[in-house]
Amino acid sequence: MGKVKVKKKDARIDMTAMSDVTVLLLIFFLLTSTFLQKEPVTVITPTSVSEDKVPDSKLMTVLVSPKGQIYMELLGTVDTTVMSSENLRKNALGIMCEKYHVTLTAKEVKDFSKMNCFGVPMKNMKQWLSMNVDERDKALKDGPGIPIAMTEYNGKTTEFQDWVKAVSQVMEDAGEAQDIREGKGIAIKADATTPYRLVEVVMNNLQSINRNKFTLMTALKKEEDQ
Amino acid sequence: MAKKNLSHQKKFDTRIDFTPMVDMNMLLITFFMLCTTMLKSQTLKIALPTNNDDSKTEQNQNQAAESQAITIIIDGKETDDERTGARSNPQDVKFYYYEGQLNVNDLSNFKEAKGITSGDNKNMSYLRSIFMDKNKEALKLIAVEKKKWEKQEFARDDKVNDSLYQVAVTKIRQRNDLHPPIVMIKPTGRASYSDVVAILDEMQINNISRFQIETLSKDDSTALAKKGIVLPPAGKK
Repeated sequence: MGKVKVKKKDARIDMTAMSDVTVLLLIFFLLTSTFLQKEPVTVITPTSVSEDKVPDSKLMTVLVSPKGQIYMELLGTVDTTVMSSENLRKNALGIMCEKYHVTLTAKEVKDFSKMNCFGVPMKNMKQWLSMNVDERDKALKDGPGIPIAMTEYNGKTTEFQDWVKAVSQVMEDAGEAQDIREGKGIAIKADATTPYRLVEVVMNNLQSINRNKFTLMTALKKEEDQ
Repeated sequence: MAKKNLSHQKKFDTRIDFTPMVDMNMLLITFFMLCTTMLKSQTLKIALPTNNDDSKTEQNQNQAAESQAITIIIDGKETDDERTGARSNPQDVKFYYYEGQLNVNDLSNFKEAKGITSGDNKNMSYLRSIFMDKNKEALKLIAVEKKKWEKQEFARDDKVNDSLYQVAVTKIRQRNDLHPPIVMIKPTGRASYSDVVAILDEMQINNISRFQIETLSKDDSTALAKKGIVLPPAGKK
């Protein structure tokens, strides 16, 4: 009578290899991902068949809220040159401060350069920058946005136009104005249900300072019936 | 040696259980996957006419007044809400169009379109069929190029094939002898942004290279008023 000898196996599986794989994947996602930026209004962009990607750098986004507020987002390169996001924002703010006779402390300027989205009139800028983060977000959301009304346009530029000019100036000085001149560097972002008149104001503003070329931000739509 | 007696150490299992670590990593990966990848948006390029040279735009308009011109008026319904801001539902869109020039006293060429597309492209009250009909000479040539592109006749390499095809198509789009239409897009202030983008999209789909976004003229407003559509005053904020 042969006695079958059952070998007792260890039921535990070695998870080290699995852990290696997951850590690698995690690192991959960490490096490739771009985080959703905090924006004062959430917009769902309209769909289009256009397949041009949004540039990753040297981009000025004009965000139009359904209430007609205008916000701006400035994106530079990720390095530490003149064209980095921080320097771009800082230098553009410098030009604006000079024009609107606003004096800011070094800390306020630094705070501003860290912000992805801004949109308060220059006369409120100092007060806005002195707030804490939560108050800032609230003020941005409930505030008037960057003044843009063309009714004030009689030979004078609107504050929005001044911002566009200031940003162009900074890029020009760095010799990187190609994108913004060709229109790749300016994108309008608005919700699909926003009435056209609110977007039209932005377009008219851009047009009257000879920024005729720009892009509209859209989401990809598959062409189903063609 | 005295040490020999002391070394009565227990042998521990040096393996660490990695299961919780894997669990945590998986959760993080899921988080990153859901938060990031889908959010890359696209852009649609547009170019507005320069407005510092008045004589040039006037000339453009005269030119556009010929038989090739087609004007699309986009209208919608707007609701203004204190809480959510102004909204215009893309479903409430109304498209009007006319070919050539508008005559306020005879609105026979001022028509309403049913929509952009119907699925089949034969029905002439849909905008896409109108565009296709207007641009048929160019589209015919582009279809030939597309066949070539599908068979990779431009080049073996996919990328080169693509770019050569694009160059060929752009050339055809800009050919004047094919009588391409000139499309004037005139949204009213209350039309939804999404519908304006939809029309701009049609330009790309139907390979129309010449189009402009313009504001409504006085005649357009008069024609709309005659059809019973009253627009809010222009100065309305």
